[in-house]
Amino acid sequence: MIQLTNINKTFGNNIAVNSMNMTLEPGKVMGLIGQNGAGKTTTFRMILNFITPTSGKITWDNHPITQSDKQKIGFLPEERGLYQKLTIEEQILYFAELHGMSRSDAKTALTDWLKRLDVVGKATDKVQSLSKGNAQKIQMIASLIFNPEFIILDEPFSGLDPVNTSIMMNEIIRMRDNGAMIIFSSHDMNNVTKISDNLTMLKQGKIVLQGGVQEIREKFGRTKIYVEGPFSTSELSNIAGITNIKQQGAGFDITIANESVGHHIFDYVTRNGYIPAFSQQPPTLDDIFRQEVAYHE
Amino acid sequence: MNKSLIIVIKQTYRSHFKTRGFWLLVLSPLIFAVILGAIGFGISQMQGNTTPKVAIIGNSQVRQIFKRDEKSLEIDVSKITDSKQANKSLASQDLDGILTIDNDNATLTTQPKSNSINKEAIVSVLGNLSRSQKAADYGLTAEQTQNLIKPFNLKSVVKQSNNESTNGDSSDMANYGIAVAIGIVTTMIVMWYASMIATEIANEKSSRIMETLLAATSASIQYFGKMIGIFALAVTHMAIYVVAGVIGYIVLQNNKLFSNVIQMFSGITLGFTLYAISFILVAVALYLILTAMIASLVNDNAQVQQAVQPITFLAMIGYMFSFIMTNMPNNLAIKVLSYVPFISQSMMPVRLVTKVETWPAAIISLLIAVVAMISLAWMGQSIYAKNVLSYSDDKIMSQLIKNIKNKN
Ligand SMILES: Nc1ncnc2c1ncn2[C@@H]1O[C@H](COP(=O)(O)OP(=O)(O)OP(=O)(O)O)[C@@H](O)[C@H]1O
Ligand SMILES: [Mg+2]
Repeated sequence: MIQLTNINKTFGNNIAVNSMNMTLEPGKVMGLIGQNGAGKTTTFRMILNFITPTSGKITWDNHPITQSDKQKIGFLPEERGLYQKLTIEEQILYFAELHGMSRSDAKTALTDWLKRLDVVGKATDKVQSLSKGNAQKIQMIASLIFNPEFIILDEPFSGLDPVNTSIMMNEIIRMRDNGAMIIFSSHDMNNVTKISDNLTMLKQGKIVLQGGVQEIREKFGRTKIYVEGPFSTSELSNIAGITNIKQQGAGFDITIANESVGHHIFDYVTRNGYIPAFSQQPPTLDDIFRQEVAYHE
Repeated sequence: MNKSLIIVIKQTYRSHFKTRGFWLLVLSPLIFAVILGAIGFGISQMQGNTTPKVAIIGNSQVRQIFKRDEKSLEIDVSKITDSKQANKSLASQDLDGILTIDNDNATLTTQPKSNSINKEAIVSVLGNLSRSQKAADYGLTAEQTQNLIKPFNLKSVVKQSNNESTNGDSSDMANYGIAVAIGIVTTMIVMWYASMIATEIANEKSSRIMETLLAATSASIQYFGKMIGIFALAVTHMAIYVVAGVIGYIVLQNNKLFSNVIQMFSGITLGFTLYAISFILVAVALYLILTAMIASLVNDNAQVQQAVQPITFLAMIGYMFSFIMTNMPNNLAIKVLSYVPFISQSMMPVRLVTKVETWPAAIISLLIAVVAMISLAWMGQSIYAKNVLSYSDDKIMSQLIKNIKNKN
C-alpha cells in the first residue's frame, strides 16, 4: 500500500501540490485528473523521489520508499524518451535488467509483449525506425515488462489512436488483475471512467474530488436525462427544473436541477404513450470535472 | 559491487564497443602505423637491392681487404679484375663503379645511373691501409701502427641540472619524438572520450531517458556507471595498442630500419611505459569526471559543443606546453605546470623520459592527479544528481558556477 500523507510542494511562490492525501492499494487503479499544471506530474516525481516534497510523508507499506523499492516501480514518464540508436531488444533488456529481471527472462517476455501490443517491427529493429505510436508501445513495455508491483503512468494514452488506446487499457487491466498498484494521469475522462477504480481530481494542486468512480458519480445524483421522441427544444424547456437542454442527434441531452425533476419530464414525454428512449443517469466525469472546475474558479 | 552499477557499466561499455566510431578511433592510428611501417620496410628492402657493385683494380691485396669488409663498406665487390673488361661492364651499366688503385692515390669512376657509393668509408679504409703501409716502411711495430691509426674518440654527454650526466646519444630528435607522440596520444584519447561521455549524457538528458533510468537506479549509480564503462573502453583501447605493439615488435624485431627506430627510443623502459599509461588513464578519468559534470548541465544535443569546448581547450593547453617544454625544460612555469592535474599528463611523462625530472617527482605528480580525480568525482556526483533532471535555460558556465556556490 502506498500512502501520501499531507504532501505539499512549492516552487518559489507557486504551490504546485497542496496538502495532498492519497492511498493506493494492490489490485486497484487510481486515475489522477486535473487541468494542465494541476500538479499531476509533480506528484509522480515526488513519489519517485526525483524531487522532495516541501512537507509531508510518502510511504510504501509504512516505510519510506527506498532505492530497492524503486526497482519494483514501473514508470512511464510524461516526456517519452528512448535510446534512438539501440534496437528494441537492447533497450528493453537494459531497462528490465535495471529492474532486476534477468536478460533471458526479459527476452522471452519481450516476444509476448510485442505480439500482445501488436508492435509493427522486429525486436532487432532500431528504435529510431519506429513510428511514434510504436515507440510509445516500446516505452510502455519497458515500464511494465518486469511485472512491477507499483505502476505510475503519466498520460499513458496521449498520442494513441482508439485501437491502440484500448490495447493499452487491456494491459493496464491485466496488470491490475495481477495485483499491481496502479496510478495514472489523463485528460480523457472517458478513459478514466473505463479503467479506474478510484479517482483523484486536482485543481491547482488541491484535491477537489476523491473516491470510487461510481460513488462520485452517484453522489452527484441522476441529473442527466436523455430522451428521444417527437418534441422540440422550446417545448421541453418549458418544464420547470431544467437547467440545460441540447439537441443531440435524434434526441435531447437534458440537465436537471435535482433527481425528482426526472419524474415531471418522464410524465410529460410519455403522456401519449410509447417513446423510443428515456434514460436518467448520473453526470459523466467530464461533466463533473467541468462543474468542479467552474465551481472552484 | 552494487548490481545495478555493474549493469550500467556493462551497458555503457557494450553500447559503445559495438559502434563504428570506436573501432575507427582504435584502428586508424594502427592502420597509419602499419602503412608507415610498410613504407619503411619497403625502403629498407629496396636499399638491400641497391648495394653498389664495384670492381677493384690495380692492387689485389687491397681488393682482398675490400672483399672482406664488403658489408661495412656497403658495396658488392665485383669478380672483374681486368681494367678493359671493367670499363665495358661500366658502360653497359652492369657495374656501378671502378676503383682503380695506384700507389698514393685511387680513382673512383662511376656512370650517371650508378647507385650511390659511400665514398667516406672507402677513403677511410684506403687511408688506414696507406698509413699502416707507411708506418711499416718507417719501421714501427704493429702496436705502434695500431695506435697511430686509431680514430680520435669524441664522446657526447648532456649535462643535466641535477648534476646527473646522461648519455646524449639517443638525443634531441628522439626526445622530441617521444614528446610529440605522448602529447598526441594523450590529447587524442582524452578529447575523444570526453566528447563521448558528453554526448552520452546530453543524449540521455535531451531525449528524456533520464527519468526512466532514474526510476530504476540512483543518479550516482548512473554517474559512476557511465564513467567506469567509458573508462573501461579507454583501457580496452590502450590494451589493444599494447598488444599491437608487442606483435609489431615481434614481427619487426629483425628489421634494420626498425631497430634504428627502437634505438632512438632507448630511454623508454618498461617502468616508464607503465607510468605513462597509468598517467594517461588517470588523465582520461579526470577529464571524464569533469565532462560528465558539465554535461549534466546540458539541455539538448546542440549544447554539447558548448560544454565540451572548455574541456578541449584545457587538453590543448597541456598539449601545447608539451611542445614548448622540449625547448626550455627548466622554465619555472613549466616545472609547476607539470604538477597541475589536467595538464601534468602531457608534461610529466615526457620530462621523466628526457631525464629532466626524477622518479620521485614523477610519482608525486601522478599522486596529485589521483587525489584530484577522487575529490572531483565526489563533487561531480552531487552536481550530476542535482542537474540531470532539471532543464535550466541558463548558460552552462553560469549554471556550473551557481552549482558550485550553492554547494558551500
Ligand atoms: N521544476 C519546476 N520548477 C518550478 N515550477 C514547477 C516545476 N515543475 C512543475 N512546476 C509547476 O508546478 C505546477 C504543477 O506542474 P505539473 O507538471 O505537476 O502539472 P501537471 O498536472 O502534470 O500538468 P500537465 O497536464 O500539463 O502535464 C505548475 O504550475 C508548474 O509550473
Ligand atoms: Mg504533467
